[in-house]
Amino acid sequence: MSRELHIVGFQVGRETYGVPITSLHEIVRVPEITAVPDAPDYLEGVINLRGKIVSVMDLRKRFGVKEAQIKKHNRILVVEHAGRLAGLIVDSASEVLKIPADAVEPPPAVFQEGGLNCVTGLGKVSGRLVVLLEMSKLLAPGSLQAKNENGEKKAAAKSEARGAAAK
Amino acid sequence: MTNSPDERGAELRELFFETSQELLQTLNDDALRLEKKPGDEEIVRGIRRTAHTLKGDSAACGLRELSELAHKFEDALSLEGAAAQTAVSEIAFEAADVFAEMITAYRTGGKLPATKALSKKIQDLTAAPAVKKTRRGTKADGTSSARSSAKSADWTEYEKLAMAKAQAEGLAVYHVVAKIDPHCAMPIAGRQLIQNALAGLGQVLALRPDAKSPAAAKQVEFVLATGQAPEQIAAKGRIPTIAEEVTVELMLEPNPAPKGAGESGNAASDGSNTSDGASAAETLTAPASSPSATPATHVAQENLLRVEAGRIDSVLNLVGELIIGKSMLQQALNEFGKRYPKDLLRGKFTDAMAFQARVLNDLQRSVMKIRMVPVDQLFRRFPRMVRDVARQCGRDVELVVSGHDTDLDKGILDAIAEPLTHLVRNAVSHGIEPPEERRTAGKATQGIVKLNAYHQGNQVVVEVSDDGRGIDAKKIRAKAIELGLTTPEEAARLSDTETLDFIFRPGFSTAEQVTEVSGRGVGMDVVQSVLHRLKATVSVETRLGQGTTFRLKLPLTLAIIKALLFWVEQRLYAIPLNAVLEISRTFEGEVHQVDNYEVLQLRNQVLPLLRLGRPAVDGDGKAKLFVLVILVGERKYGLIVDALEGEEELVIKALDDQTFSTDLVSGASILGDGRVVLILNLPAVVEHVAKSRPEQAGQTSAGLLMTHTDRMRLALTMSNMTTTTGGEA
Repeated sequence: MSRELHIVGFQVGRETYGVPITSLHEIVRVPEITAVPDAPDYLEGVINLRGKIVSVMDLRKRFGVKEAQIKKHNRILVVEHAGRLAGLIVDSASEVLKIPADAVEPPPAVFQEGGLNCVTGLGKVSGRLVVLLEMSKLLAPGSLQAKNENGEKKAAAKSEARGAAAK
Repeated sequence: MTNSPDERGAELRELFFETSQELLQTLNDDALRLEKKPGDEEIVRGIRRTAHTLKGDSAACGLRELSELAHKFEDALSLEGAAAQTAVSEIAFEAADVFAEMITAYRTGGKLPATKALSKKIQDLTAAPAVKKTRRGTKADGTSSARSSAKSADWTEYEKLAMAKAQAEGLAVYHVVAKIDPHCAMPIAGRQLIQNALAGLGQVLALRPDAKSPAAAKQVEFVLATGQAPEQIAAKGRIPTIAEEVTVELMLEPNPAPKGAGESGNAASDGSNTSDGASAAETLTAPASSPSATPATHVAQENLLRVEAGRIDSVLNLVGELIIGKSMLQQALNEFGKRYPKDLLRGKFTDAMAFQARVLNDLQRSVMKIRMVPVDQLFRRFPRMVRDVARQCGRDVELVVSGHDTDLDKGILDAIAEPLTHLVRNAVSHGIEPPEERRTAGKATQGIVKLNAYHQGNQVVVEVSDDGRGIDAKKIRAKAIELGLTTPEEAARLSDTETLDFIFRPGFSTAEQVTEVSGRGVGMDVVQSVLHRLKATVSVETRLGQGTTFRLKLPLTLAIIKALLFWVEQRLYAIPLNAVLEISRTFEGEVHQVDNYEVLQLRNQVLPLLRLGRPAVDGDGKAKLFVLVILVGERKYGLIVDALEGEEELVIKALDDQTFSTDLVSGASILGDGRVVLILNLPAVVEHVAKSRPEQAGQTSAGLLMTHTDRMRLALTMSNMTTTTGGEA
């Protein structure tokens, strides 16, 4: 008997993505989001989830969807990873998918680079492809650091200063 | 018993590790005092008591090596004339260090440090010709032990004092002998169990024999001060399979009317005489020379709870939630009032709200108070450190500590330990000049390092000052130019205060020659970064040849702040209210450009401006501006904000550090209506603006709080400004 993966499926753009149901905390409508300055654009800000401050990432921006206005049917997937909560804005979330473990293929090698290294596999459900995401990579601190010019500049300036001091 | 003796033992060790830190601190303190007053018997006795307690406690936990060493140390000190030897303080220091190392080794399961050198020194102490001189109490020790040695161990002078003290407090003192069951598998642990059981009834004043002695496995004797009846003691002490036979004898009857201390001063203290309690009670009432401090602290400790900080934090969290709840109610009430302005119910609601708010306030304050600890907990480490550092660098330094009972949040106190250590160390090694140099400069050869703490409004100020050579701003300036941190022209314009800020730059601290030149260096950036994290500031004040003062301004607590809320770019932000000096209204036309900075002239003062929102729009200069005048460190800045919201008490919640790399925001809070407000980290905001100073004239460092979306929107509307706003802030 093959094992089944229980996956929460959601849409971002035209694709269906999935996260393990065990890492899902809840799905909420998009409340008012408080933007945080000096953060990368796909980090939408923070929300108040019943008294808890939860940071929210726009998966649509993360996966390169340009026009990302927040609409009524948009949802926030609140996921839990390593004890902390994070919100993911998705176009819509609807279904729980059961995917047999042997219907999951490893991601193509090109996915390992860049912003897509959070893909753990491609699952096939009744002819559709579901991109399976791994929370630890998606929420890894490194992937969320502000990688804007400014940050690099700062780092460079610092190392310069250090170098000069060492002389 | 549900707990196995092993578990009990582990628990006990933990307890010991904790309390031993205090003992070591006492040892250090005493050693320092002794160094100042060599030969003071009182202090030596104090050291001996500490060693004794350490010995007993460690023995109870089965830490044999430590207990033996402490025992030797105690023995050596109890010799007549030992106190007169100057080496005692030296040995006490060393003992404190070795003991500390041993305890760490026990704790971490590491290798025990070498103790030979210390043992040797202690032996030398013993070997030195001991001058016999008759003292009160010693003679009594002799006689009493002779009289009752067959029956019980003889009690030390200290223990007898404790007994007398307990008696004076109206407690009966019992002598309890428990025979440990020979079949008991772990007699030492068993004995601890008995002790614990008895400690529940009262105060265990003395314990015999020591755990390490072979007799320890057979029987154990206690002196217990309690208000309980002897039958109860016997019942408590009788633990199946461990102690079958427990005898309880009254040693001293409770003393309802404590006698004056002087009257029995000369009397021989006869604590071990277990039979004639009444006469003993007469003679034992606090010998005049007795330092009653130790027994007194024993009593005080009974009323102390050791609570895990986490538990208090969770209570504090709940209080925070309640405060949010309160503002929710308040908001609902306001709405209700608007809808039904004449309803009688409204008055009732208002009363209930007011009552609740008051209680909540008290609750909050009480919980916060639990977290408050006196800074002395931190300050008391420094005398020893100053002494050591001063010796290492050949300085003569006196440490003057004041304000040690100032209360501070435990979390903050722990966090500033490291920076403060840096500052004190620096003050001694770099601030204070060598004695000869001081003499030529016409100063006293002994330098003074001052450590001071006091409350100032909603803040606690901690100062480290020295009367040393001071910091030469000229040299700092030169160094900063050399390191490329600034240009000569720029440097020339900087005030001395501004120049001094360079010492907090990371690059500045590592270069060796800077340390010599400036007299400050190592780890100053660490100091700065820790303080940033705490939303605290540090400032330097120095006078060449007269000394330097580092002033840390710390928030009273990390959890709840009074904040000023304002709008920038349609978003709500908050800053701590105590940083706000005044709120001023002005016009765009009043803002001037000086050296690419925007400044505002405010009553003869030129105020550097920090623009948080979008940059100034070219117009007729009539646009109104709100400027919050804030104080960061020692300097004033003006924050340009769009609109003001008001003042509110905020419960700070941490932002997910891993997600947001920004240091502009120190936390977030939830308002009564559920909105999230970000709390700005002012020192970081100021620093950001200072760092990202525009390179070309005409540009302003605008839009610190603009998000990507804002910038994009702005870029669309003002395509000509895109380049200036996109890359900044």
